[in-house]
Amino acid sequence: MTDRGRRSTTAWGTVGWCVGVLVLLAALPPAASSRLPERLATHWNAGSGRPDGSMPLWAAALFPALVWAVLTAVVALALRRAGTGSGAIPGWALAGLGFGGVMLLGGQTSIVRANLDHADWHDAGPVTSWVVGTLVVAATVGALGFLAAQRALAQTPAQAPPQDGPALDLPAGQRVVWLAHTSNPWLQAISAVTGLLAIAVAVGALAGLTDSPVALAATPFALACVLVLGCSSVQARVTERGLDVTFGPLRWPGRHWALEDIESARTENLTPAQVGGWGYRLSGLGTTVMLRGGECLVIRTARGKDFGVSVDDAEHAAALLNSLSAQHTR
Amino acid sequence: MLLRLDTASSSPLHEQVAGAIRRAIAEGECVPGDRLPPARDLSRALDVNVNTVLRGLRALRDEGVLEFRRGRGVTVADGADRRSALLDRVRDLVADAAHLGYSKNDVIEMIREIP
Repeated sequence: MTDRGRRSTTAWGTVGWCVGVLVLLAALPPAASSRLPERLATHWNAGSGRPDGSMPLWAAALFPALVWAVLTAVVALALRRAGTGSGAIPGWALAGLGFGGVMLLGGQTSIVRANLDHADWHDAGPVTSWVVGTLVVAATVGALGFLAAQRALAQTPAQAPPQDGPALDLPAGQRVVWLAHTSNPWLQAISAVTGLLAIAVAVGALAGLTDSPVALAATPFALACVLVLGCSSVQARVTERGLDVTFGPLRWPGRHWALEDIESARTENLTPAQVGGWGYRLSGLGTTVMLRGGECLVIRTARGKDFGVSVDDAEHAAALLNSLSAQHTR
Repeated sequence: MLLRLDTASSSPLHEQVAGAIRRAIAEGECVPGDRLPPARDLSRALDVNVNTVLRGLRALRDEGVLEFRRGRGVTVADGADRRSALLDRVRDLVADAAHLGYSKNDVIEMIREIP
């Protein structure tokens, strides 16, 4: 089968999976309606294993279908924005759709099976073993989907073969280095706002204004504050030791590539839509640190992956890296 | 910004650092108003002690090439590019004069005599 053929098969298979799961989720409860009570038990007490929540039959059929429809719509939108028009579906999408579909299908099957042949939802059987089984199968399917996509990507030949990038004159007796710094004020503002929210919630909880469950909401805010702050600025430097990229005002964490780990360097004009958004982006072909659209320094590592970072004056950095590498291998 | 440190020269290290920044400004690597990387970053990149870098930066501030502003860090001063190029020529002139046996004061006298 040709490469293009294999890709379109994957795409059609994915569409088929999405539609099939949707139909099954919505059709399963009505199909068994003659043997089900009027209201279905849909929630179980984690401690006792007894049902403690119910939904009418139509809601039990439509609710999971709606969740699935939203999930597929989000994945489709993300794929559209990421611009993978070639038909190759990235690993995270296959993993997410596989895991989500199996989870919802397993949940729906568990609910129908537990309610089967019971006159009232209070008498519905336990579902613990089914839920555990579903989790295991869903995780396996998700992992398989991810691995399959990684394999497919690994088999596709890398586009843009490493060519002679820009170079720079390096006279003897000179140490040439390059530094750059980029920051995104919007991300810094988001970090400040989430940090203030975290402090406000924590102070409110300490003062006894809110209950402890609300105080737990401070944790995600604090986490978001730190993560966004770490992605809001980036420093890059090229020296005889290689390329160093550090994140955030603390210049930690950071990544380092020695010259022998870098195959070639080039500049590219990238937009956040192309790499999947702002911040530290991972995709099938590599990693990009995206703080603003425009000029990016992109290196091809010895392992064949790309790493990009949005910095000004990337032309000089690429030229210096290529020249230093050439000097290093000579 | 691209910095070239002249390791072959026999001048003190802090002067080499100042020279590297002067050259970067003269070649348009950074323009007036641009913020310079923090001294700590320069020190790591150039593999030079941070105090040596600061000494070089202070020399450039005294020359009027850089401005230190609280909270804004170190920025390139207005007209620094032209002033820096002119200073380079003056420095060359003084070096040439010394080579020919004239002191700085002799050169100053010569400049005064120019109508």
